[in-house]
Amino acid sequence: MERAVPLAVPLGQTEVFQALQRLHMTIFSQSVSPCGKFLAAGNNYGQIAIFSLSAALSSEAKEESKKPVVTFQAHDGPVYSMVSTDRHLLSAGDGEVKAWLWAEMLKKGCKELWRRQPPYRTSLEVPEINALLLVPKENSLILAGGDCQLHTMDLETGTFTRVLRGHTDYIHCLALRERSPEVLSGGEDGAVRLWDLRTAKEVQTIEVYKHEECSRPHNGRWIGCLATDSDWMVCGGGPALTLWHLRSSTPTTIFPIRAPQKHVTFYQDLILSAGQGRCVNQWQLSGELKAQVPGSSPGLLSLSLNQQPAAPECKVLTAAGNSCRVDVFTNLGYRAFSLSF
Amino acid sequence: MSSESSKKRKPKVIRSDGAPAEGKRNRSDTEQAIEIEERRIQSCVHFMTLKKLNRLAHIRLKKGRDQTHEAKQKVDAYHLQLQNLLYEVMHLQKEITKCLEFKSKHEEIDLVSLEEFYKEAPPDISKAEVTMGDPHQQTLARLDWELEQRKRLAEKYRECLSNKEKILKEIEVKKEYLSSLQPRLNSIMQASLPVQEYLFMPFDQAHKQYETARHLPPPLYVLFVQATAYGQACDKTLSVAIEGSVDEAKALFKPPEDSQDDESDSDAEEEQTTKRRRPTLGVQLDDKRKEMLKRHPLSVMLDLKCKDDSVLHLTFYYLMNLNIMTVKAKVTTAMELITPISAGDLLSPDSVLSCLYPGDHGKKTPNPANQYQFDKVGILTLSDYVLELGHPYLWVQKLGGLHFPKEQPQQTVIADHSLSASHMETTMKLLKTRVQSRLALHKQFASLEHGIVPVTSDCQYLFPAKVVSRLVKWVTIAHEDYMELHFTKDIVDAGLAGDTNLYYMALIERGTAKLQAAVVLNPGYSSIPPIFQLCLNWKGEKTNSNDDNIRAMEGEVNVCYKELCGPWPSHQLLTNQLQRLCVLLDVYLETESHDDSVEGPKEFPQEKMCLRLFRGPSRMKPFKYNHPQGFFSHR
Repeated sequence: MERAVPLAVPLGQTEVFQALQRLHMTIFSQSVSPCGKFLAAGNNYGQIAIFSLSAALSSEAKEESKKPVVTFQAHDGPVYSMVSTDRHLLSAGDGEVKAWLWAEMLKKGCKELWRRQPPYRTSLEVPEINALLLVPKENSLILAGGDCQLHTMDLETGTFTRVLRGHTDYIHCLALRERSPEVLSGGEDGAVRLWDLRTAKEVQTIEVYKHEECSRPHNGRWIGCLATDSDWMVCGGGPALTLWHLRSSTPTTIFPIRAPQKHVTFYQDLILSAGQGRCVNQWQLSGELKAQVPGSSPGLLSLSLNQQPAAPECKVLTAAGNSCRVDVFTNLGYRAFSLSF
Repeated sequence: MSSESSKKRKPKVIRSDGAPAEGKRNRSDTEQAIEIEERRIQSCVHFMTLKKLNRLAHIRLKKGRDQTHEAKQKVDAYHLQLQNLLYEVMHLQKEITKCLEFKSKHEEIDLVSLEEFYKEAPPDISKAEVTMGDPHQQTLARLDWELEQRKRLAEKYRECLSNKEKILKEIEVKKEYLSSLQPRLNSIMQASLPVQEYLFMPFDQAHKQYETARHLPPPLYVLFVQATAYGQACDKTLSVAIEGSVDEAKALFKPPEDSQDDESDSDAEEEQTTKRRRPTLGVQLDDKRKEMLKRHPLSVMLDLKCKDDSVLHLTFYYLMNLNIMTVKAKVTTAMELITPISAGDLLSPDSVLSCLYPGDHGKKTPNPANQYQFDKVGILTLSDYVLELGHPYLWVQKLGGLHFPKEQPQQTVIADHSLSASHMETTMKLLKTRVQSRLALHKQFASLEHGIVPVTSDCQYLFPAKVVSRLVKWVTIAHEDYMELHFTKDIVDAGLAGDTNLYYMALIERGTAKLQAAVVLNPGYSSIPPIFQLCLNWKGEKTNSNDDNIRAMEGEVNVCYKELCGPWPSHQLLTNQLQRLCVLLDVYLETESHDDSVEGPKEFPQEKMCLRLFRGPSRMKPFKYNHPQGFFSHR
């Protein structure tokens, strides 16, 4: 098989090291700025890069616009999840959550505003924080991760108010059910648990792997991604990607995709999912595959829809995963270009 | 009055004489005789009076004239006097003006200023009291002082001249003495030769070498000088020698007349030969090529001795027409090396010095002007001739002081000592590290081919005590084969798999699991780490494109290589990386979650101590080994 060989540039030690770092980089999390013009991406080396979406999408975009405006070392370990409030970027990875001011981050050498560590039981190993969830009504943040518990932190005071226990293995993902308000959490133990925030108690448990239609034992039972639309919930991971009706706890649609999905979200009347395999999948609620759009990374870990009202021209879908690139889809039908670390 | 009367009388006389003459003729003769007598006496008296009067008139005239004359004389005398005086006045005026205009020579002399004069002059010359008031005296005094000073300086000048003469004479004497010394020293040196040899101090040899060095072409000369200097000053393990024929070098610079004669002779000969047989175009071109690529007969040999008694022999040649230097390398070891099959290229003279500096592959000529020369004789590229001519690395040119600016052919590039000196130390150190790392790899390859990963005792702490996975195979593969592998696409696309690298394939096995590792060894090992790409065959084929954990394993050896470097110089990097791969395979296989649907026990029971089996959204296995606690955790 003939392959075009790229020109070999004389590479010194630092260039080789940087190239290797980029080859082995994984982008775990993304977050859009409140103004909608910037995208933050966190990777497995603990770095956060801020990309300017408005510059990359503008008509005079050059190669440099696809590079980060600024990159800084945020955490010692990987940055597993990030979320944005109307002024701050909250990033979490190795056991602690840090807050950064969006307005300050574009300048070099910015420092975190504050950092907090939820009270952990074990001291041997610092558990990671896999998911962050904002509850706007209470102005609080929910963290969940390696210690199998959900912690609630009040954003104004910074104190940890509640601890929700119930998972038997670490938690992968969180979703918020606005109406109740309830929090859904999916974990390695294969269960999706619903928690009522007012009473701080577990309300409902769905053990996905126990349902024969969706379980896939060769993949495992872990729940990697969750999304909810009040009455409906879609979850995936080891078991197949399934749409559930929450009140009756029954699986209504099973999406026919073999690869484990790592991120799923509702968008208008579609369900977008991404996971192992290059593509972003678009599903109808009936279970039909509407489109499969290939990206540039061999596996995807996070999807982000920029729906900020302040920047309608930057309304894009960005996908990132097992590479140093963030794919930008201006139109859900094809990949427009990629931003790169 | 009397004259008037005399005059009156006359006419009377006449008349009277006339009239009466007739009447009285008788009375008349006596009276007439008496009157005639009377009248005659009267006329004589009258004549006398006339004469007297005439005389008087003349005398008065004369007197008058004399008086006039006298007066005139006086006037003339006064006039003369006046003229004289006027003349004198004019003369005096002229003199005065001349005197006034007179510029005495003393005004042309720059006298010292008044203040200085009064300061410096001794009081008997300056005579301040007198001279202050009187400018004439002042000037005189100043002139005196000037004279005094000049006399003193003239004295000094004469003294200095005489000194100089003396010293010149002394110099002459000493020169003669020294020149008489030369033949005596020569004889002493001759006599001391056997002593030198006995004491191992080869001064004479060094001297001879310098003599030969005079015939070296400039770049080789620069290299020789700088290398000798460096060897003497910093590095006793470096030895420099000159090889080749000095006579041939001298022959290159024959004087033009001789060569013209030769040319005419050879022309005549050539004409004769052309009549017999025309050389073919190809042969002519070949000759031209040979001429273009001709080497200078002399070459410089550098021997670098390393700590373990292995020696790197470098021979530097100078290509005269192309104005570049090339090098041939050879490594000899203290003991005979049994070359393992995979280590064939490690120490081969062709590639042992490749990419000493990043990108310096030595296949292209560094002199941009050579391209035009090549076009004339139909040489495509120097890399065809590199085997016999040696490699024209960039660092070789720098050591010879030749600096070729990129892409811009320069008029003449001359050898520069400072360029050579600045690069000498780094290059020598790099050469030594290169040889040592290659020799270390050589030894390691011998062991790897037997399936043993040689981990030294000071690197044992990086790995757990029990490692079950074994290295089964270690072979070289060709560059093209590496590019064809399906799991190496990323490395090729990133431009890290050039043709100057060496490629190997390792196979690690445990039970039914087979892990293939394709290795890219950069010539700059060990500062540039080897790059691994993995493909695991166990329950399907897993590579970095479909299994995040395989990707993480690659990251552990490729990105976190600094932990595996071991003590400096990090010759243990490759073997540590291989050992780590074995450990990672162990962890991977043992922590694989058991599939409930399949019957039977797990193929690989978990023996490693891990805090958690999975972590993070991508469910990574614990690949990080913690020493000395001995458990595995996540990064």
